[in-house]
Amino acid sequence: MKLKTYLSSLVGAALTVAAFTATAAETVKVGVLHSLSGTMAISETSLKDVLLFTFDEINKSGGVAGKMIEPVIVDPASNWPLFAEKAEQLLAKDKVSVVFGCWTSVSRKSVLPVFERLNGLLFYPVQYEGEELSKNIFYTAEAVNQQAVPSVDYMLGEGKKKFYLLGSDYVYPRTTNKILKQYLKSKGIPDEDIVEIYTPFGHTDYQTIVAAIKKFASAGKACVISTLNGDTNVPFFKEFANAGLTSENCPVVSFSISEDEFRGLPAKDLVGHLGCWTYFMSIKSPENTKFVNDFLGWVKAPKVSGIDYTVTGVDPKGRVTCSPMNLSRMGVYLWKQAVEKAGSFEVDKVRTALIGQKFKGPAGEVTMQANHHLINNAFIGETLASGQFKIIKTMTGVAGEPFSEKFLNTKTASN
Amino acid sequence: MAHRSQKIPSVTVILAVLIGIAAICFPAAAAPVQAALRTNLVQALLSEDLAEQTQLLQKLIGAEDSMIPQVLTAWRGGAVYVYETNQAKVPFILDAASDSEGRAKGIRVDDGEFLKGADGQPLVFTATELTSIDATSKLRKVIKTSLDLFALGNSNPKMRRDAVIKLGQELNADYLPHFEARVKLENDAEVVKALSEAIALTQVASEDAKIRVAAIQKLGEMRSINSLSFLKQLETDAKKTPDKFGAETIQAAHTSVLAIESYMAWGNLFGTAFRGLSLSAVLLVAALGLAITFGLMGVINMAHGEVMMVGAYTAYVTQNIFKSWFGASGGGFDSYFIAALACSFVVAGLVGLVLERGVIRFLYKRPLESLLATWGVSLLLQQLFRHIFGAANVQVSSPSWLSGSFVISDVLLAYNRIFVIGFAVFIVVGTYLLLTRTSLGLQIRAVMQNRAMASCVGVRTDRVNMMTFAYGSGLAGMAGACLSQIGNVGPGLGQNYIIDCFMVVVLGGVGNVFGTVSASLGVGMTDQILQPWLGAVMGKITVLAAIILFLQWRPAGIFVTRSRSLEG
Repeated sequence: MKLKTYLSSLVGAALTVAAFTATAAETVKVGVLHSLSGTMAISETSLKDVLLFTFDEINKSGGVAGKMIEPVIVDPASNWPLFAEKAEQLLAKDKVSVVFGCWTSVSRKSVLPVFERLNGLLFYPVQYEGEELSKNIFYTAEAVNQQAVPSVDYMLGEGKKKFYLLGSDYVYPRTTNKILKQYLKSKGIPDEDIVEIYTPFGHTDYQTIVAAIKKFASAGKACVISTLNGDTNVPFFKEFANAGLTSENCPVVSFSISEDEFRGLPAKDLVGHLGCWTYFMSIKSPENTKFVNDFLGWVKAPKVSGIDYTVTGVDPKGRVTCSPMNLSRMGVYLWKQAVEKAGSFEVDKVRTALIGQKFKGPAGEVTMQANHHLINNAFIGETLASGQFKIIKTMTGVAGEPFSEKFLNTKTASN
Repeated sequence: MAHRSQKIPSVTVILAVLIGIAAICFPAAAAPVQAALRTNLVQALLSEDLAEQTQLLQKLIGAEDSMIPQVLTAWRGGAVYVYETNQAKVPFILDAASDSEGRAKGIRVDDGEFLKGADGQPLVFTATELTSIDATSKLRKVIKTSLDLFALGNSNPKMRRDAVIKLGQELNADYLPHFEARVKLENDAEVVKALSEAIALTQVASEDAKIRVAAIQKLGEMRSINSLSFLKQLETDAKKTPDKFGAETIQAAHTSVLAIESYMAWGNLFGTAFRGLSLSAVLLVAALGLAITFGLMGVINMAHGEVMMVGAYTAYVTQNIFKSWFGASGGGFDSYFIAALACSFVVAGLVGLVLERGVIRFLYKRPLESLLATWGVSLLLQQLFRHIFGAANVQVSSPSWLSGSFVISDVLLAYNRIFVIGFAVFIVVGTYLLLTRTSLGLQIRAVMQNRAMASCVGVRTDRVNMMTFAYGSGLAGMAGACLSQIGNVGPGLGQNYIIDCFMVVVLGGVGNVFGTVSASLGVGMTDQILQPWLGAVMGKITVLAAIILFLQWRPAGIFVTRSRSLEG
């Protein structure tokens, strides 16, 4: 198989086509590294589903460079060291061409050395804190300047003068808030008008914090920037609503709540509060209508065409699409294009070919930059009672930048 | 038109007639005042342009049409929909009364009539299947301001008060006439207070030094927390440019700020006490069942948390049953929670009964095996519920009487918190009465103190064990239902509480129910006192460290129970 690919790349364009058609029945192995059990399963299972859906889409239209995608799914079970083991298994034993996976930053950090040592290729689709760049990882995810910074800009534009930064106690909120604090200061918000508070995972008692926010917001012009994770949002928003705080007197922007999370959250307590992502299910574009309709149809009868493969564990009830799902799918298409451009599945060649790849997705065109992050559109949306977002602001062509010193500097320079 | 004019209130008719006489050349123009306003409203609803919407909404203010605030409220909450026919778009809201399938008739915004289909019959709609007319946050702000001005004349004093506070903070001198007109009519003391606060706050920005100083002094006397930051700002500004403001303003602002701050210090103390009490109540409610099964009976029951989860899911199921009977709101639905508490006690009690009969009774003399066995049971239960209800959390909605809060001297008391405190008192008193005033209680105490002797004098120890364990589990079930009002309901619910439960029971002293009560109070209060200083994470760590130290000093907990079974 390798020889054939090698030869085909030598013989030139006409023969390449011939070689690909000849090997149409052949497959290429692709790894899926998402937790299907444990605490993260709720979020990550949806990504596994959308990946299989995308493989099906691609296989139906002829596969990647004529080869059918054959998924190799492993379950790292929300266990960070297990992520590294499973990554090693995918790369060394299954010899997959590319891996799509990880959700939490700690899981990404745990697989990073494995990918660098074995020269693998990983696509990472979930918003994260930046300050990292590996030659073996492509971050389709939102960097801080594609999510947190635009939200704060929007709040400043709305005339907000006081910022309450509330987060779960782990690396993503802490790093993001550190960057935001610097950013707010550069915008002339004094120290005493920025509060930074963290709560443990699974925290349920938000009385003190909400009382403090109420006092903080008593004179108006205040907002909350929330990086609270998962189900701690329920007690927080319940307490928030009970205290008589609303999106009018003190709006909350949450970075970790997407449409998919609303399947387990009471959306009516969150109406009017804001979210910022590079994709919303409510985007009106022909690409998105197709994506949403096809995906909702697919979950009812899940399959991966072109190969002998049975899909299990897809829940057809109440499905939605969300930004991490869209970005997972974008990753697969960018990889496909790069492989076809390089005429090879070899990691080094694909990596070079990936830079500059463009793809017109549901949320508009994305471009892979040399810094392994996307140029993407960012949107600010307001939560509706249906658990969907109404888009109230669109920022086009925001270039992802992992290192905060770079975008903090450019921002201050341009001001 | 003729049909519509019959519905105009008589005052409007007289007015219309007067205007008609005055401007005899336009007799028809003034007649349908209300209809014109409704048309404005419909236009605003269908418009896409914020400026136009704002303008149209401002025209509505002061109208004596109860439909307008109703529609605005619905609009703000995303409950105004559009019915599209070939000729026109008709905005409508849903009738409050819904049928058994949750469908309701549509009320047209333009004339208040029911929407009718081609056959002349009223159409019915399901709210979830309709697309609402959206309102962005900017527009919602405009709607809210209009509603607030409407609400100044609302029949509910609480609504009037909220509106006044909101309008006062905008420091808009245009509102002053509205406030002053209202304060003359107002008879509710709270609203009068809010009105004078709003008037004073608005007057602080006045150019006239006399009015300004008087307003500042008034705010200080009123201990107005809402105006504190405005006053502080004013004090700083005034100190920077004393010529503009004058020494009197600086002095007045300084005195008022001090007065308000010292008042706030007391408020904080009271607030912390309430929050501490409420956290203690949560801990106590969660741990009381364990105080029975582990404390009194000595069974290390790792499945305690999962029994709570059973209770919480019972509340969820009860809620869904009530929803299918009564619809998703109204008195019938709101009473579900009382039924849910009773059901979860029974269901969790039965689970406890089966657990005791099936597993625990074989392990009374082998505590370590009971630890492992109940842990196994807890995993089984979690997986079972994950299988039935899915891995995602389920949503238990709060009945309307448990949502919201009231305010005593500027400290917020949420109804669900007060309910938990009351509930904790209720179950502690209930358990106390059961243990001390009933024959079952006497038997329980006898068996727990000396099983062999109790058996000798004819107590059926087997049955008493079973009943006690079922009672403890029932309490855990009720706790689960109760906590569904505060936190999440999911298969992992038990895991969140089990550590806290054991911590409280062990700290209080195993075997003593009142030890559990005092331990919950101690832990809850300490946590809430430390939290504002140390933050949630460090606060929790400090409490845990303090407990470890305390148990080093008093290994048996706060109250040491002496009994033969424990010593032997």
